[in-house]
Amino acid sequence: MKTNKILNISNDLRWQIGEGFHDKLTEGIYSDAATIAQNSVQKKGDAKRFRFDRSLDKIVTSKVWGFPIMILILSVVLWLTIIGANYPSGLLSDLLIGNIYPWLKTIGESIGFPWWLSGFLFDGVYLALAWVIAVMLPPMAIFFPLFTLLEDFGYLPRVAFNLDHLFKKSGAHGKQALTMSMGFGCNAAGVIATRIIDSPRERLIAIITNNFSLCNGRWPTQILIASIFIGALVPENFAGAISTFAVISIALLGIFFTFMVSLFLSKTMLKGEVSSFTLELPPYRPPRFWKTIYTSLIDRTLIVLWRACVFAAPAGAVIWLISNVFIGDSNIANWMIIHLDGFGILLGLNGVILLAYIVAIPANEIVIPTILMLTVMSASITGVGSGNGVMFELDSINATGEILKAGGWTLLTAINLMLFSLLHNPCSTTIYTIYKETKSVKWTTVASILPIILGFIVCFIVAQVWRILM
Amino acid sequence: MTNPVTSLIVFGIVVVLLFLLFYPKSGFYWRIKTSFKNDTKILIEDILKKLYHAEDNGNTLNSNDIINSLNSSPKKILETIAEMENKELISFENGDIKLNDLGMDYALRVIRVHRLWEKYLSEKTGFDKKDWHEIAEKMEHKLDSLQAKELAINLGNPRFDPHGDPIPTETGEVEPINGKPLPTFSEGTIGRIIHIEDEPEIIYKQILAEDLHIGSHIHIIENNEKRIIFHSEGEEFILAPIVANNITIFELQKEEISEENTFRLSKLKKNEHAKIIGISGECRGEIRRRLLDLGFVINTKIEVDLTSPMNNPRAYLVRDTSIAIRNEQAKFILIEKK
Amino acid sequence: MQKVTNSACEGCELNQASNLKKLGVNIEDNNYVVALAGNPNTGKSTVFNALTGLKQHTGNWPGKTVTRAEGGYRYNEKKYKLVDLPGTYSLLSTSQDEEVARNFILFGKPDVTIIVVDASRLERNLNLVLQILEITDKAVLCLNLMDEAKRLEIEIDDRTLARDLGIPVVPTSARSKEGIPELLKIVHQVATGEIKCKPHRIKNVPKNINNAIEKLRLEIEKEYPNVPNSRWIALRLLDGDERIIEAVKTGEFITE
Ligand SMILES: Nc1nc2c(ncn2[C@@H]2O[C@H](COP(=O)(O)OP(=O)(O)O)[C@@H](O)[C@H]2O)c(=O)[nH]1
Ligand SMILES: [Mg+2]
Repeated sequence: MKTNKILNISNDLRWQIGEGFHDKLTEGIYSDAATIAQNSVQKKGDAKRFRFDRSLDKIVTSKVWGFPIMILILSVVLWLTIIGANYPSGLLSDLLIGNIYPWLKTIGESIGFPWWLSGFLFDGVYLALAWVIAVMLPPMAIFFPLFTLLEDFGYLPRVAFNLDHLFKKSGAHGKQALTMSMGFGCNAAGVIATRIIDSPRERLIAIITNNFSLCNGRWPTQILIASIFIGALVPENFAGAISTFAVISIALLGIFFTFMVSLFLSKTMLKGEVSSFTLELPPYRPPRFWKTIYTSLIDRTLIVLWRACVFAAPAGAVIWLISNVFIGDSNIANWMIIHLDGFGILLGLNGVILLAYIVAIPANEIVIPTILMLTVMSASITGVGSGNGVMFELDSINATGEILKAGGWTLLTAINLMLFSLLHNPCSTTIYTIYKETKSVKWTTVASILPIILGFIVCFIVAQVWRILM
Repeated sequence: MTNPVTSLIVFGIVVVLLFLLFYPKSGFYWRIKTSFKNDTKILIEDILKKLYHAEDNGNTLNSNDIINSLNSSPKKILETIAEMENKELISFENGDIKLNDLGMDYALRVIRVHRLWEKYLSEKTGFDKKDWHEIAEKMEHKLDSLQAKELAINLGNPRFDPHGDPIPTETGEVEPINGKPLPTFSEGTIGRIIHIEDEPEIIYKQILAEDLHIGSHIHIIENNEKRIIFHSEGEEFILAPIVANNITIFELQKEEISEENTFRLSKLKKNEHAKIIGISGECRGEIRRRLLDLGFVINTKIEVDLTSPMNNPRAYLVRDTSIAIRNEQAKFILIEKK
Repeated sequence: MQKVTNSACEGCELNQASNLKKLGVNIEDNNYVVALAGNPNTGKSTVFNALTGLKQHTGNWPGKTVTRAEGGYRYNEKKYKLVDLPGTYSLLSTSQDEEVARNFILFGKPDVTIIVVDASRLERNLNLVLQILEITDKAVLCLNLMDEAKRLEIEIDDRTLARDLGIPVVPTSARSKEGIPELLKIVHQVATGEIKCKPHRIKNVPKNINNAIEKLRLEIEKEYPNVPNSRWIALRLLDGDERIIEAVKTGEFITE
């Protein structure tokens, strides 16, 4: 064979040259490059680095200011996101659920849809979509552009530079700080962002642990439950502060788990993967505001939203179906709730919550509406909600609390729900993204199973200790 | 509802059981798994290696020495030795065991795989130096010579393993190491580290802790029974002779000696200017290539640009660009201060 | 580099630019395929967007584009498909993004490769440029970020550079679309063969290595006379590049 001959000759030559071929070649290329550059480049100014860049870098990476600046910026971004998203979310939800939904129902009626078709389409699929869009779109449309502006300016590589030492201790890469922060917006986007990590081992770690960053879909759940159950523990004046504190603790706990799991992975499963660290600090460049906002909306927000919708639609259908398909006397949902209840109680949760998390794998956004609907249905509460399989939410926090308490919720249930909302499998959008990024069933499985096992263990222990102490 | 105390206890028991079963290496699961392996073959190969290394050092071994140095049962070892004699791998001479040609060939094949695998681990994986030996100990019994050949080609037919030991060729030739143990040199000698022995593990770990690199130049300052002091790459090292004995040095002639002014990049201070004179051979595989690609090549000017709040990593100005690397990598880049 | 025909209209780039029609993702039955290669963060995606009218994400962050993006434009009645490759420092290593870029230039056989470099860091960027010139001889150097270079008071003699590299050099500031018309024109001329390139070949390698490369190159050319980049293949074989060894085994590299 001709090719074999070539390969054999090449093997012989390699043996003759010995090691160092790559070094010699690179050195050769660089010395050619130096000659060519010398011929045509003339540096007039103090060509080192631009003055402004240098002084800015001195500040943002300084021992004193480096960390405070980072924390300040992250807090401002998160604050703007959570506060700023409230109003448009409300508007969207009024529009999509308050106005369009009844309108669709009427139309369905007027053209003579049978009840099951309009239930399936409008109560199931449409409501799930509407919920995902109303809850997810506004925060993402604020968070991602802000983040992208920081990125375009060139600040983010400095963050990786500052934090690398901390991440290295758990076997991870400084750039994971950024994919983690991105995860606060959306885990799927965080997973995509791990592309900036060029070392295989550290990239896998970042992908697998991204789910421990509390994403936008989960912040509202945390805030709602904290204000109902934890805020109520203290006098009204402190309620806001204490529930905020509870939510932040959960987010910090997530960061803690990120580090622990990173450490565990780098010591066990990922031990032999190649690992390296290099980071180019690019010059600062003033971002072009509107263009950046436009591209980040198209690039990140809409793509992620689209993926979420694709997964949410069937979930809505499933939620409606399990509540309306009957086996004997009870519908599938009730039947599952009864069977999951034992395990749920063992974990300090209940059957409704577990079922909600099973059917709401596609999107964390619909967990609360699903829980409310299932609670009302399974506890046969009358006067609220709009029937089996129709997700809903209430304007009043108190009324929501009443329903949950009627469904048997205690402070323990609330705390464990907050924990479980942090520590459970990633949503299916994220799982799909992980698969697309890793192309590996193995790592996708690990990334999906690991958090939920942790969630079971943590909830279980908290529940037992709670019961012993209280 | 179950009693919380009971459930916690049950949970605890399950965790402990899982731990006992799957704890790396000493867990029952792993032990059972290893005990099912074809261990006569492994034992034969281990004995052959012992004999080879002994002969290489000019020593001889008898059956007792072998029983003492391996942790299988004496009975099993004696049986195996008998079997090896039957197969004409070894023969007895005044109670000492000698390798026959057949045995020598076999031993070299096993050693070849071992060293190739260490080379593979160092070039293509992220395993830590201290784990190489143990992993290679397992792999050496698994690969046949065809697989070894493929591996060697993939690695570019390397001549030395990452510790500086020669890799036997397919036909069983071994390049001699032309250096001597560090303590045999007198004060004032300048030489190059060409080999660091990775057995026994306790001593190897001490050498690793010192962070010495194969290929580094050293200058011996003091040498007596108590300690050996030498300088290398801008740092001073103090070793006990027993440790130093596992380091092989090749003495350099005057004209081969490069600048005395060699430092590791990690030691470069702010506002100092330097020139890169090379990347240590200890920096391998993907990381080495990456550093070269980024312009850390010979004769490049370099200075410290930024230091992160926790002092590691640092960013260096290389060819007009600020590039951050960790100190763990910077120490492999050798520089000459101006 | 030599010009086969001197363009009749030297001073009317603006006129030429009006021949540009951005085609977005509409890239069917194109006449030419153009690849965009270069170090990370040199403005490849910005050039890509300027040409295609698409809105690829551009970030000031090394290593953004990982999968390759494609788009199209029409210029002088010809349809071009433009491929934005991931930024790489080199084509010699084996990381994932380098594979994507390298495999496309080597096996995708673009009609023209635009190499986007950062004018303020020319020397470092030339590392990749010289490697690409080993693979392909239809290339255009896009000397981007000229505005930044000016700010840093760096002056570049693009004629000397073009002569040394043996390919056309076009200074641009892609963000403000300066130099894009010129770039379009030159790409067109290279694609149609109006301009022929004589790319620089790496010189400063030690003798024994050069001998080995030449020996292997001749051997490859003897067996496969039609392989265009035999020297590069020889180089990669000697470096033990598994992907290229595989390509030689399967004969993939001869599909000319
Ligand atoms: N000042 C200036 N900035 C530019 C120019 N071209 C690109 N940029 C900026 O350089 C950064 C990197 O650009 P991008 O196209 O993403 O580079 P890529 O990584 O090579 O695709 C972005 O912030 C761009 O806005 C230019 O000509 N001048
Ligand atoms: Mg890009």
